[in-house]
Amino acid sequence: MDDHLHDGHDDAPGDLPDEPLEPSLLAAAREYHRPPEPPREAMWRAIQAERRAERAIRPGPRRWVPWAAAAAALLAVGVGIGRLTQPDPVTDHAPVASWGPSAAAPRVNEAAYRLTTLEHLGQSEAFLTLFRASVRTGGQERLASATARQLLATNRLLLDSPAATDRKTRVLLEDLELVLAEIAQLAADAQPDDRALIREAMDRGGMLSRLRTEVPAGTTLTRGEL
Amino acid sequence: MDDRELIGRVLAGDPRAERELYEAHVDRVFRLSCRISGDPHRAQDYTQETFIRAFRRLADFRGESALSTWLCAITVSVTLNGLRSQRRARDREVGLDEAPALGTRTVEADPDLKTRMTAAIDGLPQGYRTVFVMHDVEGYTHEEIATALGVQPGTSKAQLFRARAKLRTALADFARD
Repeated sequence: MDDHLHDGHDDAPGDLPDEPLEPSLLAAAREYHRPPEPPREAMWRAIQAERRAERAIRPGPRRWVPWAAAAAALLAVGVGIGRLTQPDPVTDHAPVASWGPSAAAPRVNEAAYRLTTLEHLGQSEAFLTLFRASVRTGGQERLASATARQLLATNRLLLDSPAATDRKTRVLLEDLELVLAEIAQLAADAQPDDRALIREAMDRGGMLSRLRTEVPAGTTLTRGEL
Repeated sequence: MDDRELIGRVLAGDPRAERELYEAHVDRVFRLSCRISGDPHRAQDYTQETFIRAFRRLADFRGESALSTWLCAITVSVTLNGLRSQRRARDREVGLDEAPALGTRTVEADPDLKTRMTAAIDGLPQGYRTVFVMHDVEGYTHEEIATALGVQPGTSKAQLFRARAKLRTALADFARD
């Protein structure tokens, strides 16, 4: 509270005359910042969303754990990407010089791409949920930025893949790239407003709900482990 | 249902109890935040933050005061901290020196008592304003205010006395009518 409340001189030395304001003044005072009808449902939805995010991270003394888990889980995505781009042993043994167009065309394993994309989207959803929950407290910008950079790299690989033919997934990955890029640029001494702006951008684009719609429950490695 | 039973159900993970607690107190929390912040949109954020904090800390609630008073304390804290961080409270404080000047204008020059009262309340120091709004505008008792603000009831009374005096001075021409 401010100084005017803690100043010892404000303590009443004795009985103060407790004269109410004149009725006309009191009536005018009661118009001061008269509140509108409270948006009860909207506020309740926001509270519940925040509570769900909080339950996901289960705050404790080792608050770095969820972040580290999310970052570590990225390795799994990396492995997936690696497998996706791994040269096929058959083509490895094929003659180096080949004039046929089929030799130059990349092999596209759509099922593997789809699985890897889902895994990436699941990791991103887990990460953004953690980030969103940490907006109010802050203090983990460096780790958030590093994790966002790793996710961004994976995101770009997926976007550049010849298997990225599904328009809906492409749009989602492109929008996700913008959010991840903003978090990746977050400075270690970021102000609460910086984090809040990113959160607002996420909310405006419905990023988390779109990710949750796209990713089947139980897809991500971190889900349920944090 | 009393506070203790409701809190027990919330802590046991009953989602309906969470909603009941929210419904029982949301209007009062929103009203107070709105009165103090003067911005319904920010009051919406502060109200949400109040309940998020309350649910988070509910296990720490010892029942030494009523649940409504405890929520009121969180509301005031969240709202004032929010205002501080936005530097809006400082902008709103016209300054004490200006408050009497407002009162020297003639009724004809500024006939809108509501507007003048709003400016005069805005011109009060934050501590005076908070106590005045809680007591005279929202009807909290000095005991509730003292618990919410972490001060003695006597301090709350003194703040209110001084706030009213400043408002009477600022609105002297209206008070005479």
